[in-house]
Amino acid sequence: MKAEDCSIARTPSSARPGKYLTFALGGESYGIAILQVREIIRPTAITPVPQMPPHIQGVINLRGKIVPVLDLRTRFGLATPPSNDRSCIVVVQVKTNESAGALTGLLVDAVDEVISLSEKDIEPTPDFGFRLDTRHLLGVAKVGAKVKILLDLDQILGEETQAQV
Amino acid sequence: MSSTSQDAETSIDLDLASDGELLREYVIESREHLSNIEQGALILEKHPDDADTLHSVFRSFHTFKGGAGFLNLVPIGQLAHGLESLLDMARQRKLTLDGERIGLLLRGRDTLKQFIDSIDDQLTGAAPPAPILIPTGDLSRQILAAMTSEPNSAPASPPPEPSAATAPSTGGTVKVETSKLDSLVDMVGELVIAQSLVAQDFGPHAAANPQFARNLAQMARVTRELQRVSLSLRMVPIRGVFQKMARVVHDLAAQQHKEIQLLTDGDETELDRNLVEELADPLLHMIRNAVDHGIETAEARAVHGKPRAGVINLRASHKGGGIVVELQDDGQGLDKERILAKAIEKGLAAPGAKLSDEEIFNFIFAAGFSTAREVTDLSGRGVGMDVVRRNIERLRGRVEVSSVAGQGTLFKLVLPLTLAIIDGLVVTVGGERYIIPTLLVRESFRPRAEMISTLQGRGELVNLRGRLIPMLRMGEHFGVKPAAGTPAEGIIVVVQTGAALKGLLVDGLSHRQEVVIKNVGDMIRHRNASIAGAAILGDGRVGLIIDVNALGNLPVAHVAQAANN
Repeated sequence: MKAEDCSIARTPSSARPGKYLTFALGGESYGIAILQVREIIRPTAITPVPQMPPHIQGVINLRGKIVPVLDLRTRFGLATPPSNDRSCIVVVQVKTNESAGALTGLLVDAVDEVISLSEKDIEPTPDFGFRLDTRHLLGVAKVGAKVKILLDLDQILGEETQAQV
Repeated sequence: MSSTSQDAETSIDLDLASDGELLREYVIESREHLSNIEQGALILEKHPDDADTLHSVFRSFHTFKGGAGFLNLVPIGQLAHGLESLLDMARQRKLTLDGERIGLLLRGRDTLKQFIDSIDDQLTGAAPPAPILIPTGDLSRQILAAMTSEPNSAPASPPPEPSAATAPSTGGTVKVETSKLDSLVDMVGELVIAQSLVAQDFGPHAAANPQFARNLAQMARVTRELQRVSLSLRMVPIRGVFQKMARVVHDLAAQQHKEIQLLTDGDETELDRNLVEELADPLLHMIRNAVDHGIETAEARAVHGKPRAGVINLRASHKGGGIVVELQDDGQGLDKERILAKAIEKGLAAPGAKLSDEEIFNFIFAAGFSTAREVTDLSGRGVGMDVVRRNIERLRGRVEVSSVAGQGTLFKLVLPLTLAIIDGLVVTVGGERYIIPTLLVRESFRPRAEMISTLQGRGELVNLRGRLIPMLRMGEHFGVKPAAGTPAEGIIVVVQTGAALKGLLVDGLSHRQEVVIKNVGDMIRHRNASIAGAAILGDGRVGLIIDVNALGNLPVAHVAQAANN
């Protein structure tokens, strides 16, 4: 878990060494801190909510709790691969300013594995200038020959809960 | 139950074929009474003078007797009659319920339970049809003896203080965090859903297997009871609010030199703790209005031939799964002409419009509306009733007003019992289901094409018995393709939004269901104010609860923008 102050003066790389859950999204590989992951479930019946942006798919019933589901692929404007039966909903718990520890479901193409990252594996997010919005990234990690993009869920979900129509 | 019983014990022959349904109802009802008697007896053991409990236990036996008489269950009726008489004497303070008599009550209750169990067994087929013989002679004699003998010097105690009756401590209390209660209610809600899913999925198998059917039914019973109990944990009597009002009336009346009497009724009516807190403010406002504008001065009253003292009635009662709070004064009533004139002046009504009394009175709930000639310390600033209405609507309730000039005004607040659960009407639009709070639904009907007219090519109105109601196509509004191509293929649900009515066009009505309201989270709420919450429907899927007020207030531009999204 990150310290709170990170969000104020964000250093280029605020990713901490530790365990990350990696998943596939539109042909790319992403990672989120395992401590934020509560569970991984099979896609279930999603109830669409009217007047939502396209990346908010709707809400699901997670054992009696109402959990909103985000489609990260749409959120990041990634290509849509043909639907497969490996897609999952990763349920994460992130502290946002208003609701302490609200659950959110992230729709991903496939869950890969849990990896351990040490400090030397993590690099700050490269600066793409104006061409790429990197606010949502904690950094990138090299795992063998592959690159995993580490997501800043606090930032992503914080924006969602503040967003006004 | 010894063989010394010399009375010929009467047995019960059940006529399962013709009385089956009635007996089933009687058994269900009786079980409630049995548990009420048991609880009551335990309270009475500690507080023999608790009038409320005495009365409630008495009523239970009385109902028992009534049903037994109707169904010709002679021994049950006799036993219940004996116990009822015993309690009646206790009620009239002719005897005291000492330990021995409490013991009799409990034994009597146990014997009644044996009867009920036997009847239940025969109804469900667990026992073969046979005469039911359970000896009651000994017990009846003991009851009779208990009524005549006087072990204590009666009347034992002076009439109890009202406060003693109001706070029957039932053997210690436990303070619990409300969050724990909430999560208990949540979990029980889940249990209810799980139970109904099981009943749905396996119900068909139950026909072939009576044992299974019984277990299913038992589970349903226990779940319902559990839900009731878990909800009751949050329930408190409305008494506290009423007492506060009594004080307010007293002070205000003195301040304004009016003679006013506040009569309360039903202050034992229980409702959700949160609701009680939220109710105080609007009620206070209405009471002030009644004192300030409603009740005339003693002199003015005398001129009109009314008693000098005005009366404000505050009543609470349970009604149809909700609670009704009524505030009635015998003052001068609402001034219809002035309200109408003011409404026309404010552009709320067209001059010359023919409006019903109800519609005219509803104008007082409009924002910034006040007909008070002078602004007093208390009211007349015109920020009153619209705030009341908004507060009540926030509690998913509604407020109604009726008035007779010179005779008084009646405000009626209809509120849900709890904020955690609503009675919802499930409607379908396209493939989606939405939940509308039943409390706000006035009626629903299938419109004929000629009932609908458009306004400037955009707004649509439906003409319901001469009343024009704005119509909102839910499918269009929510970006869902409706199954009904034209309004005439759909159903219009008329809902109360504030003082006005609104017609929601949906594809159809699915069913009514009590649902546990759940938070949809900031992510959703910030983007769509017309989603009041969500609930888990019978099939485990999520249904969205519509906030009909927000739906009504949504500006057209917003709707257009949403449609473009």
